[in-house]
Amino acid sequence: MEQGRKDRQGRILLIVALIGLGFALVAGRLVYLQVIDRADLAARAERQQQRLVKLESRRGTIYDRQKRELAVSLEVESVYGVPSDIENPRQMAQQLSRILREDPKTLERRLSSDKHFVWISRKIEPGRAAKVKDLGSKDVGFKTESRRFYPKKTLAGSVLGFTGMDNEGLEGLERSYDKELRGVNGWVLAEKDAVGRTVFPGGPGFQYRLPKAGNDVVLTIDEVIQHIADRELERAVTAARAKGGVCIVMDPVTGELLALSVATAYGRPAFNPNEPQRHRSGEWRNRGVTDVFEPGSIFKVVLAAAALEEKVVHPFEKIDCSAGSIKIADRVINDAHRSGVLTFTDVIADSSNVGTIKVALRLGKERLSKYITAFGFGRRTGVDIPGEIPGLLKDSRLWSGVSIGEIAIGQEIGVTPIQMAAAYGALANGGMLMKPYLVSRIVDQAGGAGKKFSPEPVNRAITEETCAKVGRILRQVVATGTGKQAKPTGYSAAGKTGTAQKIDARTGLYSKKEYVSSFVGFVPAVSPKLVILVMVDTPEGDIYGGTVAAPVFRAVAEQSLAYLQVAPDDVGGSVLLVNR
Amino acid sequence: MQTRTGDIGTLAFPSGKRGSLRRILAVLAIVALLLLYVGGKVKIVQLGYQLEAMEKEKRDLERENSSLRIEAASLASPARIEEIALQRLGMVRIAKENLIVVKRQPQPVQLRTPAPRAK
Repeated sequence: MEQGRKDRQGRILLIVALIGLGFALVAGRLVYLQVIDRADLAARAERQQQRLVKLESRRGTIYDRQKRELAVSLEVESVYGVPSDIENPRQMAQQLSRILREDPKTLERRLSSDKHFVWISRKIEPGRAAKVKDLGSKDVGFKTESRRFYPKKTLAGSVLGFTGMDNEGLEGLERSYDKELRGVNGWVLAEKDAVGRTVFPGGPGFQYRLPKAGNDVVLTIDEVIQHIADRELERAVTAARAKGGVCIVMDPVTGELLALSVATAYGRPAFNPNEPQRHRSGEWRNRGVTDVFEPGSIFKVVLAAAALEEKVVHPFEKIDCSAGSIKIADRVINDAHRSGVLTFTDVIADSSNVGTIKVALRLGKERLSKYITAFGFGRRTGVDIPGEIPGLLKDSRLWSGVSIGEIAIGQEIGVTPIQMAAAYGALANGGMLMKPYLVSRIVDQAGGAGKKFSPEPVNRAITEETCAKVGRILRQVVATGTGKQAKPTGYSAAGKTGTAQKIDARTGLYSKKEYVSSFVGFVPAVSPKLVILVMVDTPEGDIYGGTVAAPVFRAVAEQSLAYLQVAPDDVGGSVLLVNR
Repeated sequence: MQTRTGDIGTLAFPSGKRGSLRRILAVLAIVALLLLYVGGKVKIVQLGYQLEAMEKEKRDLERENSSLRIEAASLASPARIEEIALQRLGMVRIAKENLIVVKRQPQPVQLRTPAPRAK
């Protein structure tokens, strides 16, 4: 009996001890969780419950000078998948490939991978996103991202450039002004509920940083003039089956670029920044600033300006060009057409190599070199587009015996179209070399001051008096010389033709088949409003600047001046006089 | 039967039940406070959902607005307008011979006749 009570008491004690031990273990665990491991667990819980939501900044808009949109960002959806959740990757790939127009095998490979997360297609059009949603599949998800659109398609494509998948500027102004356009991303620390929905807690502990939208960029480009230049250049390149072309329209007084058109080779589509991957990488670059060419006769104007400034020749001084060729050092340089005795004005108007070289020899290489530099050759203009090159200009101390003659007629020197346009701009505005530029202002979306860009004079190339003399010579080129086809109806014009032989890459000698046809000039000849450069690379058949490039100059000048409402200054007899 | 006026005013309570009534009131007050607190929290969460839904609606409207802006810009492209003008409407560019420049006629200089002097 006594023994039985003792056993019962012992069992009760054992049970109590066991329960006590259990409580002690639980208490110990609680202490461990709440005290010892508290910080780590709290952080883990926070990670699971909290979610850092990225707030993507809106990339700034690029406008033309009249605030018409050229590049705009839009929120679109990207489709992703979690391969481990997808039961039938093949079926899913086939369904998606029909909507997204992607290779089903590639999609299947992606959906069968061992990754936790795969992109199926990024930044798709809204219509396609809706169709994918209509599939009702839980295996694919959507993420909103920003996509860049260029609503004017090919217009100014090589000026604007394009952005990458993560909205970073890769080419053109998108790249040069990426820092301004991109803005700063924001974030918000949100909480997730039991089913994963985002809950914004609010209250004093609410942590967030609002995104700062990118700044808008307003260009000097005018979309109408750009369209005119694009269209006329494209026509010329197509007609001549050329390898490409450049047309630049610039305000000579300020250096503002109103159009910078780059044509791709005949048979190739014009560069469209909406789909850069469809173009060859060589077509992405802006040939107006990245490519060098031997200018040929359009460069004779530099010699003319230098010789007149230094007074080594008079515009009406007669120069004997009757031989049709001239020997300089060990080379004989010919004229395209044999001429007699010409005034210096006619030497330039008829583009005589012999007459030009004779005057260059009087000037000497030091003085010629000085003016070449004064007109901005051999150094970058500083235009906003990335990849600009300084051209090819040898130091005058390294010139050979024939260099002075070659350079005077635009050979043995490499220039970019933008340098050439800027040099003619100096002749048009009275002698001041201006920096060409494409961005007129940056508008701060946050209401800040932004930035405004003003015309930047670089240096004085020649005096106003010499400019007037050169202007008269260039008017003669259009009136009676090689540039007659450049004359716009109703307006006076001044300019120069160029037909430059290209270097044959195989032989290293001047090609007899490949030329660069060009025309550069300004309109109206008095108080010029526009400098227009046209360069057509390797035309077939007709190769002369006066017949290939000059008509483009005329068409662009006529339409642009009419659009800008510049009153005609050279209308012959067809003027109707009214009283008011 | 003894009665006593409590702190809560003119109501009279039996003295034996005073302590338990206070406890009940205290519990009720705590429950009410908890309900208020929880209710507030629930309201914040509900407002959060509502805010998110409205934010989504705002984003959708903004997206639609941007999309329409892009469409408008695309439709206003000079290339498209030119194509419609030339091909659909049959418009033509002005021919050189039809171009007449209108200029204001110079006004003849009017000489002022001096006023007659008073004699």
